[in-house]
Amino acid sequence: MATDPDRALAAILPPALLDLLRGRALTLARPVWGQRGGRHRAARAGLGHLFRAHRAYVPGDDPRHLDWRAMARRDRPMIRQTEGEDELSLVALVDLAGGMAYGEGATQKHRASAALVAALAHLAIRQGDRVGFATGGDGAIDAAHLRPAGGVPRLLALAEALAAPPLRGACPWPALLAAAAPRLPRRALVVVASDLLDPCPDAAPEAADAAEAELWASFAGLRARGHDVVLLRVLHPDELDPPWRGGELLRIVDPQGARADLEGMAAALREGYRARFQAHREALARHCEGHGIHLLEVRSDAPLADALLGLLARLSGAPAPLDDALLGAPQPRQAGR
Amino acid sequence: MSLLAPLLLVGLIGLGLPLLAHLRGREEPRTIAFAGRRFLAARGEVLSQRRRLRDRLLLALRLLLLALVVVALSRPVTRHDAALAVLGEPHDAILLVDGSRSMGLRGDDGPLFAATAPAAEAIAAALPAGSRLGLLSSDPALAPVEPSADPQAALRALEERLEAGGPRPGSWRLSDRLPAAATLGDRDRGRPRVVYAIGDRTAGGLASLPPSADDVAVIPVAVDGPLDAPADDPPTHLGIAAATWEPAPEIDPRALRIRAELRAYGPADPERRRRALVALRIGGETITQAEVEVPAGGAAPLELTYTAAGERGPLPATLELVEAAGAPADALPSDDRRHLWLAADARLRVTLVNGDPSEVRAHDELFFLATALAERGAGERERLALRNLAPDQLEGAVREAGAAALADVDVLVLANAAAPAEDVAAVLRERVEAGMGLWLTVGERVDADAYNERLGELLPLLLREPVLAGTAPGRSEAAGEGFAPANLDHPALRGQSSDLGLLGARARRIFLLEPDPSRAPEIALTYSSGAPTLLTRDYGRGRVALLTTSIDRDWSDLPLRPGFVPLATRTIAFLGDRAGEIGARDLSVGQPWTSRLPEALTVVTPSGRRVALAADDDGVRRFTDTFEPGHYRVERGDPSDGEASGAAPLLFTVNVDPSESETLPRPIAPPTLAGDRVLAAASVPRWRPLVGLAALALLLESLLRLRRRRRALAASRP
Repeated sequence: MATDPDRALAAILPPALLDLLRGRALTLARPVWGQRGGRHRAARAGLGHLFRAHRAYVPGDDPRHLDWRAMARRDRPMIRQTEGEDELSLVALVDLAGGMAYGEGATQKHRASAALVAALAHLAIRQGDRVGFATGGDGAIDAAHLRPAGGVPRLLALAEALAAPPLRGACPWPALLAAAAPRLPRRALVVVASDLLDPCPDAAPEAADAAEAELWASFAGLRARGHDVVLLRVLHPDELDPPWRGGELLRIVDPQGARADLEGMAAALREGYRARFQAHREALARHCEGHGIHLLEVRSDAPLADALLGLLARLSGAPAPLDDALLGAPQPRQAGR
Repeated sequence: MSLLAPLLLVGLIGLGLPLLAHLRGREEPRTIAFAGRRFLAARGEVLSQRRRLRDRLLLALRLLLLALVVVALSRPVTRHDAALAVLGEPHDAILLVDGSRSMGLRGDDGPLFAATAPAAEAIAAALPAGSRLGLLSSDPALAPVEPSADPQAALRALEERLEAGGPRPGSWRLSDRLPAAATLGDRDRGRPRVVYAIGDRTAGGLASLPPSADDVAVIPVAVDGPLDAPADDPPTHLGIAAATWEPAPEIDPRALRIRAELRAYGPADPERRRRALVALRIGGETITQAEVEVPAGGAAPLELTYTAAGERGPLPATLELVEAAGAPADALPSDDRRHLWLAADARLRVTLVNGDPSEVRAHDELFFLATALAERGAGERERLALRNLAPDQLEGAVREAGAAALADVDVLVLANAAAPAEDVAAVLRERVEAGMGLWLTVGERVDADAYNERLGELLPLLLREPVLAGTAPGRSEAAGEGFAPANLDHPALRGQSSDLGLLGARARRIFLLEPDPSRAPEIALTYSSGAPTLLTRDYGRGRVALLTTSIDRDWSDLPLRPGFVPLATRTIAFLGDRAGEIGARDLSVGQPWTSRLPEALTVVTPSGRRVALAADDDGVRRFTDTFEPGHYRVERGDPSDGEASGAAPLLFTVNVDPSESETLPRPIAPPTLAGDRVLAAASVPRWRPLVGLAALALLLESLLRLRRRRRALAASRP
């Protein structure tokens, strides 16, 4: 290999996290459907080793797959099928909107989001899966690397895209989804890395709510088409509970630039925030649960290792820790496999 | 505690400004780009204006800081009794020492002038570094010491002067020497000059001083206690305020009556009376003694009679307070003596020429003048030898005997007389030039042209014409001209009280005069319009006076006024005094004695010193060293000829000025300085700790702000 992916990702992946990934694998609870062989359980019979089923011989079947013992029992020619093992297509849709810039240093939301996406991509590339990604920010999308591809160059491209992007404006989710959805391979793993706080900002609250509902429906549509959809929701603790207190005068600016500035006393502004946020959060959680979407909330100040291990566990089929997920606490530490 | 600049306290109003700014000021909100913006809702009205005080501690500190600065700027001080008022910056300090006689007042701590040296030393010690010290006394006998960096020079000079004895009588006023103090030595204009006047609080002492003069600050330093405290009552002392004599022919042809006024100076207390024993000494021999009780703060008259038994000529007499046995010594002994030349036969010969006689006495031109001169008192009348003449009698006598006819006339009064004939006028001119006094009063018979032609050379100003006085011609009740206050600086009226008693007088007709500055008339009395009423002029050795209204009631009611008597007698005495030959003159110490006599004059002082007087360019011989009270003789003729002229010596006495005996303190304003200057020591400055407190408040404010900023930073950091 020309370039060591570990070093290429050093900018966005902390070495500690890389150490953690060593010897771990990205596995999915559900079978995949890849173009080529891989190490994921495929949704169709293939050239694996595990017995899958017997079926009646039809002309054209490879006679080497005839199961003689089954023929003896059934008194007709039977074909022995084995589980297929396919490669996985991981498609990451990364939010580079202004809201992801919130937080200082290690607690920046984008930093946590990029690290987690890069870690997943790193795992996938390392185990031979293909990775595609698209980003949206400043009102535009970048879908150049949407088609999944394997190998270190793709990882480097991802690292480049996430290393120091200009985090500003809004992420046009509908456009991003519209670009990505037709080009997704079958049964892809779609990772949506965003805070999902205000994905479709609009000056008019009703229009924003309607657009968001449509977006949620789109996520559900992806899931309905057989993709695994993971909403990797990265939140800053301040967004869970704003820290402003007392009579301080604040001007709240929408980082996406769509909503009007808000001025007021800290205490007055804060009033009702948690309730509204919680209602929104629960609605999203219900929607995801109802449509089989993985919703993983990650606190940007939580240890990334915990978040990553929790993510891997959820993908490999661990049950969602209902309360914790809703509370946004760090995911429980679980072995990936 | 008081404030040097209390007006600056207005600055405290400024305290409201930060408060107002704090409350009214728009707070700059902290801007946060927050992704959860959509979950935030504006609740109600957003008020960016503070509705209540925030950061109370910080605000209080800042207000305190401002208040401290304002209060410090207004410079609070506390008065310090013990300390002296000294300018708090390097300057030229001039010690102006009161040399008036009242400084000799003895208190419990000795005479007042002894306290001068400690006061001067205290000032010298309190002067800021770099100051220079000079010395000056209101008595010119103390040679001025120019300001020098060595304060000992001035202090030594003062010490030597004090060791030489008490204050010299001389009627010194501190204010008279203030201009000299302002210009003493080389004056550096950039350097402040402060005159420290050390003296008592009498009229001639500190009370005579203006607050400042000629950009020189004056700081009074009272030797009788701090200025801001009411002075203790000075000890009562006795003095002889005045002494006169007159012949007493009803007792004996050679008897003299001596009147004196004794005063007990000090706080008035009619209940308390001091016994005074007064002795009359003639030629050192005690003739008689009299006892008088003087109320404290009041006066008592004394009358003695003496008969000059065999003596001829004037006698040197002294009235002296004698210490009664057991009585305390007088606190101010310098005024316990009064000197007189007693002469039983001195007369002023006055000839009155009546131009308008009348059989009705009240209509007679000279009725009022003669009465006034006669009413002077029995003794005074004896000293005036009055003779009445009609104008034709005068002319006849003059034509008969020439100048000899007027040889025995000291003062000639021409009252409303027609202008004398040319030959008589020439004799008059000759006599006046030789020393006779001439008083012209006008009336209907006075013709301006004739007077100007024949006596114009003598007249103080040429006559123009008689006019009706007043501003409303034709309105008789409004016609009339009032009199302005008399010019008491005129030698004839010097020493009179401020109101001569003429203020109500009105003149209906007055004589206008031709202005002529070259004649240099001296104006004693004017009308309220400014036109001269009574004016005098020196002519040769004699004097001429001119009254521009009638001396009877025809033209004015002047003779009806009480002031007419002193005016008439003073004028007569002034005109007659010019001859310098009759009677003895009484001078105050320091008052010069002058004479126009042509022969050589030698003054013999009381201590026996002989001083030959030289005539100046105008022929005036002047004796100025009259600082020694006592009897002076002026011998006529050149003693080197071995043969005196034989003429009787001229006599005069010098007595202390009774006004200097007044020791009651006057209120003195505490020293004030213009501008930013501060008085050190007198008032202890209290603003320096305030400045320190302000600095501390500033430090606390900075610390608090720093802490707040850190806290704010920590709060904004997620």
